Amino acid sequence: MTQDERLAGTPGTPPETAGERSDDRRAFFAAAIGAAAIGTGAFLFADPLSAQTITDADVLNFALNLEYLQANYYGYASAGAGLATADTQSGAATPTPGSSVTPGRQATFSDATVAAYAKEMAADQLAQVRFLRTQLATSAVAQPAIDLGYSATSAFSVMAQNAGLVGSGVAFDPYASDANFLLGAFFLQDIAVSAYQGMVSLLTSQSYREAVGGLMATEAYHAALVRTTLYQKSVATPALLDQVNTISNYRDSLDGGSDDDQGISPVGSVANIAPVDSNGNTFPRASGAVLNILFLTRISTTKGGFFPGGVNGNITTSAAS
Amino acid sequence: MIDQEKIATVLDAAALRSAERRRFLSLVGRGGAAAGGLALLSACGGSSSGSATPTPTPSATSTSSIEAADISILNYALNLEYLSAQYFSWAAQGSGLPSSDTSGTGTPGSVTGGTQVTFADPIVAACAREIARDERAHVEYLRAQLGSAAVAMPAIDISNAFAALGQIAGVASFNPYSSDENFLYGAFILKDVIVTAYKGLAPLVGTPAWIAGVAGILGAESYHGGLIRTLLYQKGFTVTATKFSDARDSLDGSTDLDQGIAGADSSISNVAPVDGNGIVFSRSTGQALNIFFLNKASTTSGGFFPSGVNGTVNASAASG
Repeated sequence: MTQDERLAGTPGTPPETAGERSDDRRAFFAAAIGAAAIGTGAFLFADPLSAQTITDADVLNFALNLEYLQANYYGYASAGAGLATADTQSGAATPTPGSSVTPGRQATFSDATVAAYAKEMAADQLAQVRFLRTQLATSAVAQPAIDLGYSATSAFSVMAQNAGLVGSGVAFDPYASDANFLLGAFFLQDIAVSAYQGMVSLLTSQSYREAVGGLMATEAYHAALVRTTLYQKSVATPALLDQVNTISNYRDSLDGGSDDDQGISPVGSVANIAPVDSNGNTFPRASGAVLNILFLTRISTTKGGFFPGGVNGNITTSAAS
Repeated sequence: MIDQEKIATVLDAAALRSAERRRFLSLVGRGGAAAGGLALLSACGGSSSGSATPTPTPSATSTSSIEAADISILNYALNLEYLSAQYFSWAAQGSGLPSSDTSGTGTPGSVTGGTQVTFADPIVAACAREIARDERAHVEYLRAQLGSAAVAMPAIDISNAFAALGQIAGVASFNPYSSDENFLYGAFILKDVIVTAYKGLAPLVGTPAWIAGVAGILGAESYHGGLIRTLLYQKGFTVTATKFSDARDSLDGSTDLDQGIAGADSSISNVAPVDGNGIVFSRSTGQALNIFFLNKASTTSGGFFPSGVNGTVNASAASG
């Protein structure tokens, strides 16, 4: 048997499963070439005003908003506390306090390994917040209002209700169990990877391109941690695969027409930890699409969901998806 | 405004990157064309990050120079993907890349070693198959981008080289195909190096489409790296992983660019190998080749690449 024949007999190589996977993995690269060819990437922004004035600092401040959200989530889940005030104030000469966070709470972990993961991610996200704030110095934006609550009207619950993970009016508490914490992390983590990947092509500074590439890589390690752990736990709890798919499909419904989001269900005997296209590449999201998901809306607006008062900086608007 | 001096201080590695970029441009030669490329580089590089409209207009010669340098960079990456794809393909399915995926310029070689792993944990097996498929896709993607400029697969050793690295790490008779655990160590050995190598390449690439492409591969490699490290951590294989991490670190210079998966204590994991800023490490092309050649000196072959790599970026760094 030739190598070709052997490979053809394995899942995921042409003709059948590769096609199946390709259906789920958008033919991204043609689009990426199109977007990259725009150069500074102003095209990617829905807000025409911002498109005129996007700087590297604007891009990094957009990232900082996302890091505030994540750092608080993992901070609450692992230690019962969000970011300290010193890590959330505006970098402007006259500091203004960061806006309030609808707090989460320390998660109830029964698996010590998951607790260790949460603690690691909390530490890494805090380091990333501080890195971006140091780089931005006086131009760092303050933390906006963030909803990390667990009542029936919290952002996580609205997300879960809209996705169909829980029934109408039912609370989704991401701090209630290992599985719920991981599902909450799953919702946030892949978005962060794709958001950073979208930023790489926007930056004009090589130094920042390398740094943002490194931030993206960290988020991808975290995302893989979350996806791998959910996949492992699905052996004992098969329903987790459907729950993950429900969230993935909801993200996809919010951010525009292309099917670029993926759950973790294996295709045949092949796992699906890395959400990649047929070239084996992960996919980027434009800032507007990122905000669609975090605002929990497919329309063009400036606030909602996890950011009830919007995000700070010059990149603030979700796309009309 | 962003303080540019602070950027230079905090991101001191960027200076190394810029130096490497210049070296790539000089490697591809073209005299005046290379100078044009540098002018473009400074126009869109670190010197004007606060500019609202950084829209350099490259001349035809500078564009071709950037692309020529990028071809060297992508071919370097292709060598690493050949290695990774062969390892995961053999481990997952007992066969390597088809010959249609390995032709090209330079000196073609064959694969030494490689055996299908008899996996005990179906999760590990499924993940191995996923990575094998993604790595083959990376090979084919890079080859498609490079077209007739793609380098051939060089000679690759995925048997003796692992054992030799095991000796450096103090792990006797290391065979990555003999168990789930050893397969994960083999994957761990290759993956994190490839992540750091791609991150090091990210600022070097100048062609917009390839900036996006390299970012997408970096993302995938990082997911893979996270997958492998998570499985190792969850299974409690922290001690030997640290040995292999230390072995890598002993090869690539005095800077600590490598981490195992154990945290400071049992209450915290270390799945993501990051610096104090929460950012994944970078390795220069020479540092990555130090590890793959199993040699901290500047040389052009050894270890996983017994006859060297194809293309103009082919030397390890003087790291020791």
